[in-house]
Amino acid sequence: MPTDTLVRSFVLTETDAARVLRTALSQGGDWAEVFWERHRVLSLVFDDGKLEEATSGTDQGAGIRVLLGDRTVYADGNVTDVDDLTALAGRAAGAVGRSAPDRPIAELRRVEVLPPSEVRIDPRDVPIEQKVRNLELANAVARGHDERIAQVTVVYRESVQDVVIANTDGQFATDRRVRLVFAVNAVAKAEGLQQTGYEAIGGTVGFEQMSEDAVADAARTAARRAILNLEAEPAPAGTYTVVVSSEAGGTLIHETVGHGLEADFNDRGLSVYAGKLGQRVASELVTVVDDGSLPGRRGTSAVDDEGTPTRQNVLIENGILRRYLTDRKYAKKMDLPLSGNARRQSFRHLPIPRMTTTMIAPGKTEPQEIVRSVEGGVFVRKMGGGQVDPVSGHFAFEISEGYKIRGGTVAEAIRGATLTGHAPTVMNSIDMVGSDLGFSIGTCGKDGQGAPVADAQPTIRIPQIVIGGIVRESKP
Amino acid sequence: MTERLDNEAVVERALDEAKRRDGVEAEAYLRDSQGTSIEIIDGKVESAEVETERGLGVRVLDERRIGFAYTSDLSPIGIAECVDLAIANARVTSPDEAISFATAPIATDGDLRIFDAGYESHDVAEKTELCLAIEAAARRVDPRITSFYKTSYGDGAGVTVVATTAGAFGTYRSTTFGAGTACVATEGDDKQIGGFGDGGRTFATIDPGRIGDEAARRALEKLRARAFKTQRIDIVLEPYRAMELVGAIAALFSAENVLKGKSLLAGKMDQRVASELVTLRDEGRRVGGRATSPFDGEGTPTQDVVLLREGVLAGYLHSIKTAKRLGATPTGNARRGSYAGTPHAGISNLYIEAGRTPATELVRGADRALALTSLLNLHTIDPISGEFSLGATGTFLERGAPQYPVKAITVAGNLVALLTAIAAVGDDLRFGSSGIGSPTLLVRDVSVGGE
Repeated sequence: MPTDTLVRSFVLTETDAARVLRTALSQGGDWAEVFWERHRVLSLVFDDGKLEEATSGTDQGAGIRVLLGDRTVYADGNVTDVDDLTALAGRAAGAVGRSAPDRPIAELRRVEVLPPSEVRIDPRDVPIEQKVRNLELANAVARGHDERIAQVTVVYRESVQDVVIANTDGQFATDRRVRLVFAVNAVAKAEGLQQTGYEAIGGTVGFEQMSEDAVADAARTAARRAILNLEAEPAPAGTYTVVVSSEAGGTLIHETVGHGLEADFNDRGLSVYAGKLGQRVASELVTVVDDGSLPGRRGTSAVDDEGTPTRQNVLIENGILRRYLTDRKYAKKMDLPLSGNARRQSFRHLPIPRMTTTMIAPGKTEPQEIVRSVEGGVFVRKMGGGQVDPVSGHFAFEISEGYKIRGGTVAEAIRGATLTGHAPTVMNSIDMVGSDLGFSIGTCGKDGQGAPVADAQPTIRIPQIVIGGIVRESKP
Repeated sequence: MTERLDNEAVVERALDEAKRRDGVEAEAYLRDSQGTSIEIIDGKVESAEVETERGLGVRVLDERRIGFAYTSDLSPIGIAECVDLAIANARVTSPDEAISFATAPIATDGDLRIFDAGYESHDVAEKTELCLAIEAAARRVDPRITSFYKTSYGDGAGVTVVATTAGAFGTYRSTTFGAGTACVATEGDDKQIGGFGDGGRTFATIDPGRIGDEAARRALEKLRARAFKTQRIDIVLEPYRAMELVGAIAALFSAENVLKGKSLLAGKMDQRVASELVTLRDEGRRVGGRATSPFDGEGTPTQDVVLLREGVLAGYLHSIKTAKRLGATPTGNARRGSYAGTPHAGISNLYIEAGRTPATELVRGADRALALTSLLNLHTIDPISGEFSLGATGTFLERGAPQYPVKAITVAGNLVALLTAIAAVGDDLRFGSSGIGSPTLLVRDVSVGGE
C-alpha cells in the first residue's frame, strides 16, 4: 500500500482482535464484534468552468458491539492504534455494566472469500492531473453539446474502504471496497426556463472504467437530458399505462419490493410483505434477485459489514415470495438464513438489513413489442430518485427522462413527473417483462445511513399507474 | 498510547505547519464531540450507543488556489501530513481571487443558549424512561396504535474550533438533545406509520407526551384513505409539511447558486418574488435555536438575515467568497457538515415568520382543500429548475371540516410559483429538529394527480 501515508495505519491482526473481543466481553455479554475501518477518499469538483475543489482525507475508526440477550451495546469512535481500540472495547464493556467472568471466545479463523470485483488500475496510482483532465473533458463535451447548456458541474469521487470484522463466533474477515463515481449535472437555459440533466457512472471498479470515452459519454448524456427537458412539455397528471425501459435503471424495484423485503420491516409484521413467504406477492412474470457478489457493481463487496460472504438471493421467484434480506440480528430473531445483507454507512453505525444490487430478472418479450402494445401512455427512459413507506406500501419515484407513447411508438418528451402507487398492487399488475436488462447506480438512505447500491430491470409494462404532473384545467 | 494534543494545540499545530511554507495561508477547523443514543421498540430496550468523534479539516490557499484535506489522526505526524495533502491538492485547483480566510478574532457570545452545562447529568435510566413515556403517550391516544417501528433518544456535546493564519480564532461548545418515534396504527388490514421527533439544546426541551401524541395522530389520520380525482385544488400545509418545502427553497437563496446561474432568484434582488404574506429569515443567532452558532464554518460571526421581506427578495446567503464576488458582506452562512467537509453557503435557522391568521380560521378560508399529511420523494426536488412532483397523502376538507383521508396522490408545481400562490399564513410558527421553521400555509390552486 504505497500511498496510505496520511494516517498511521495499523493492521488489525487476529491476535489483537481477540484481545479486543475479550475486553469487550469482560463485564458480561453473550457475543461481541469489532468492526474496524479505514476510509480514504479523494473528491474533485469541477463547477462554473473551474476546478473548484480538491479534497482528500482519511477517517479511521471502529465500532464495538456487545449483545446481551436481545439488547445491543455499541461503542464507536476514531482510533489510531490498538491501544485506542482496546480503550473503545473497554467503553463498550463499561456500558454493559454487569460484572461477569470472562467468557471464552472461539479461536479466530479467516473468512476466505475471493474479491468479487477486479480492480485492474488502483485509482490511487493514477496521477491527480489525469483525473482533473477527465473532469475538464466532461465539462467541454457537455458545454459543446448545445449552446443552451449554461452550466456544468462534474464530480469525481474515489473511495477506498478497508474493513476488518471479527466476532466471538471466531469469524475474522477482511475486505477492501474500491468505489468510484463520476457524475455530471448540466443546466440548460432558454426563455426564462432552466432545466437540468444528470448522468453518473461508477461501481466497485478500478480507474479502468474512467476512460475518456466513458466520461465523455456520461457528459453527453447529461447535456442531452438537460436539452430534452428544456424542450419537453410538462408531464400530465392522472392514471396511465406506463412502459419502464431497461435503460431506466431499477429505482422501481428498489422502492416497490426491495425495502419491503428487508427483515427489520418484516419482524413484527410492519411491511406489506410480512408473513407472506411462499405466497404470491407479484405477477408470475416477476422474479426479483438481490446479489451483493456481482462483479464491479456499486452494491458489491466480498463480505457484508458483519463479515458474512455476499451472495445471490432470489427474493421473489415467478411471483412467489422466497426470501427476506437479513442481518445477524433479524436472521436470529426470525429464524431465517443469513443473506449477506448487513450493511452500515461507517464504523459510526450499527449494521441494518440493506439491499446491494437489486434487480428484476429478464423475461421473454422483445422490448420493442412492449412499446408497440401501448396505444396511449408514458415511456420512462430514465428514473431518478424514489422513496417508499414500507408499512403502507405507498411509493413514489421520479422520471428524469420520459416520453408520451402514441399509437405504439415513443413520441414527444415530457418532464417533471413522478410515478406513485401501492407497491404490491403495482407488482401484481405487471403484465409484460422484456428480455433486456439495464443497470443504474445510486445511494440509498435508510435510518439516517447512506449505502452505495445498484439496481437493474428489463423493460416492463404497468397497465395502470398514477403519474404526477401538471393539471391544466381549472377546478372541477 | 499516542501523544494527545488538546484541541487548541491541534489547530495551532496545523497553522504552524502551513506557515513553514512560503506564502501559504491556512484555516483549521476542528470538531471534538461525544454522544449517546438509545433505541426502544414496543417498550423494550433494543440498543444503547456511546460515540466519540474527533477530527481536523485544513484548507490552504497557495497562490490563490484552494486545497483541502481532513484527518482523524490528530498526532503531530497526522496533522503535518494533512497539511501536506491540502497543499498538494491546492496545486490542481483553479486560481480564484475571491477566496480568502477570516481575519478577525471572533467574540464568543454567551447568550445564545446552545450549551447545556448539565449534559452529563442524565443517566441511561432517565433516557430510557423518556422513550417509554413517548410510547405510552402514543398508545394512550387510541387503541388502534398497535406497535412501533422504533422510538429513539439521542444527545451530543461538542467543541468547535476555527482558526486562520490571518488571525481569526474562535471556539464554542454546544449540545443537542432529541427524541422521536414512529408508530403504527392498525384498522383491519390497513396499517399506517406516523412519526414525530423533537428536541433542542437542553434535555428539558424534549416533551415525550407531545411527541407520542403527534406521532399517533399522524399515523391515525392516514387510516382508511380513498383514491382522489386528478384536479387543481387549494392545499393546506401544516407547519411540519410546510417546513419540508421551506427546506427545499433554501437552495434558491444560496449566493453560490445565484453566481453559478443555478438559482431562479438570480438577478431578482428587490423584486417581488413571493406572496406579500411571506417574510423569510435565516436567523443564525436565534437564542436556543437548533442551528444556532456564534460563527459559521469559516469563522464569520452569524447574523439575522432577511431573505424575503413581505414577498420582496431582500438577501442571499453568503460565504466570504460569494460576498466578495457579489460585492456584499459575508452573512455567516458558510456551513460545514463535519470536519471532513468544506464550507458552502447554506442555511441555519431558516423560517417563514408567523402570520396573523389563526391556523384553524385559515383552513376554513378554503371551500374545498386538501391538507397534506405526508410527502414522499422530497429529495428529488430540483432546486435549479424549481420543479417538484411528489408522492403524497392528505385529508380532504370542505369549509375547513375534514371529510376523508386520501392516498396515492401526487403534488406537482414550481417552487417559485408555490411561493407566489401562498394565500394565507398561520400564527402557529413551529421549528423542526434541523432548525427550519414554518407556520401553517394555505396555497392556492395546486396540481394534484390521482385517479
